[in-house]
Amino acid sequence: MLAELINPYYLQVLSFILINIILGVSIYITLSTGQLSLGHAGFMGIGAYASAILTLDYHMPLVVGIVVGAILAGIVGLCIGIPTLRLQGVYLAIATLGFGEVIRVLFINLEGLTKGAVGISSIPHIGRELVKGLQDFGFKASMIGLKNNQLISLSVFLLLLIITLLIIAFFIRQTNSRVGRAFAAIKMDERAAEAMGVNITYYKVLAFAQGAMVAGFAGALFAHVTAYISPADFSYHRAVEILIFAIFGGSEVIWGPIFGAAFLTAMPEILREVNEYRYMIYGVLLVVMMAFRPQGLIDTQMIYKLKQRRKKKGVS
Amino acid sequence: MLSVKNINTYYGNIQALKNVSIDVPEGSIVTILGANGAGKTTTMKSIAGLLKPRDGKIEFLGQDVTGKTPDQMLSRGLALVPEGRAILSGMSVLENLEMGAFQRRDKEVKQDLEKVMDRFPILRERRSQLGGTLSGGQQQMLSIARALMSRPKLLLLDEPSMGLAPLIVQDIFRIIQEINADGTTVLLVEQNARQALKIAHHAYVLETGKVVKSGPAQELLHDPSIKEAYLGH
Repeated sequence: MLAELINPYYLQVLSFILINIILGVSIYITLSTGQLSLGHAGFMGIGAYASAILTLDYHMPLVVGIVVGAILAGIVGLCIGIPTLRLQGVYLAIATLGFGEVIRVLFINLEGLTKGAVGISSIPHIGRELVKGLQDFGFKASMIGLKNNQLISLSVFLLLLIITLLIIAFFIRQTNSRVGRAFAAIKMDERAAEAMGVNITYYKVLAFAQGAMVAGFAGALFAHVTAYISPADFSYHRAVEILIFAIFGGSEVIWGPIFGAAFLTAMPEILREVNEYRYMIYGVLLVVMMAFRPQGLIDTQMIYKLKQRRKKKGVS
Repeated sequence: MLSVKNINTYYGNIQALKNVSIDVPEGSIVTILGANGAGKTTTMKSIAGLLKPRDGKIEFLGQDVTGKTPDQMLSRGLALVPEGRAILSGMSVLENLEMGAFQRRDKEVKQDLEKVMDRFPILRERRSQLGGTLSGGQQQMLSIARALMSRPKLLLLDEPSMGLAPLIVQDIFRIIQEINADGTTVLLVEQNARQALKIAHHAYVLETGKVVKSGPAQELLHDPSIKEAYLGH
């Protein structure tokens, strides 16, 4: 019964949804101080390549590779965030777009390290490593009536689910803390925030580095879920895709990009024949959203209304 | 308490302040008067750390604070109520007030919140309303209340009467006097020269970036050339 329900293909799609949700959260953090970044594909790539190279060439454990990949992306984010701090809106977007392309070209040209345009294959797979670990404890897939590949997909999905929930919980907490208030004040009016004694340099760089780190983390997970990465995975298209999660879903509340990522990743899988037109649809979506609902599908007001309704129900 | 010595501030190549010197004694209200473009706001921004003077010296509470950032100035006890109020329009009145206490980590923030809402009853009434939906006068009160939430020793007010109805202007000036009576030193920039001189102890007159006159407010109120230029007949 259970065995029939667990279809590795569905689990794979769900896993990609979770990774994209993490990417959606990463762009949300940067946007929550009003900084528009198109460099998140680059940060994602740094995390992915760093973790792939560390685990494959230097035989580090997966955990070390992923954590180092995320931290490295965060450090690069810090280095990009400080000089681009003076840039706003479209200028920052162009600067970060340039950064993303530089990173991609580096992946292509540093052939000794990255294997160039061919990409890196047979990267250690999270699921296989996990199942191997379980087997060492004497646990086998057949013990719960599953095939090995089912258990692999299931373990990947469950692990990603836990990680995603932890990340979401962390950033919800942060949004409601003084850091979150500082982010919101900077987004609304930088000058006013400054007059209130908010150190805007610190908080803007913090948001940028956090976003970069989370994107790098998602990239590292991506590398160990697909087991194959190439520079094309981290191109301009990816940067736009990440941004669309936030634009479509909304960037005012964290649920916006989460919904955007989930919906836009699931849609092409459900409507197979649409997949080819994916980027065309994204383009149309961008134009339509900007014209009719520039704040995205889920905004502050919607969350407020939902809360009010729940309160009312609770009273009656 | 505050002593500004010969500061020169530039916007690119344009010199906006020329050797401006201002003294604000503890417990007083000092006002800076001048026409549009005289450099009043530039002076305030230079003091609060929003602009960096190219040379000159600013001392606050006996320490050299030249070139400090706005958040460092605030933590030393200097709060600015910026020109145009700078309300966070997407946050509620209460959240705006809490942002005023952003740097504070003591437990008396709640108590102070009650205090400023006692001083500005309208803010208590509207506390869950979004800042952007308040009227001009209410926004000005919110802006002053928010600055008070940081427990400033010196309060900088940049044209608090701008764009407000005469009756509300009266209110604002009364409140400024009350705040001063409670022990906060005030540096006030105003276009409304007569009102400002009436409540101030000391006044400076700026013209094209230079201090052209200074003295006790009462004296300036009766100075013929000031009457001519700023007060009308």
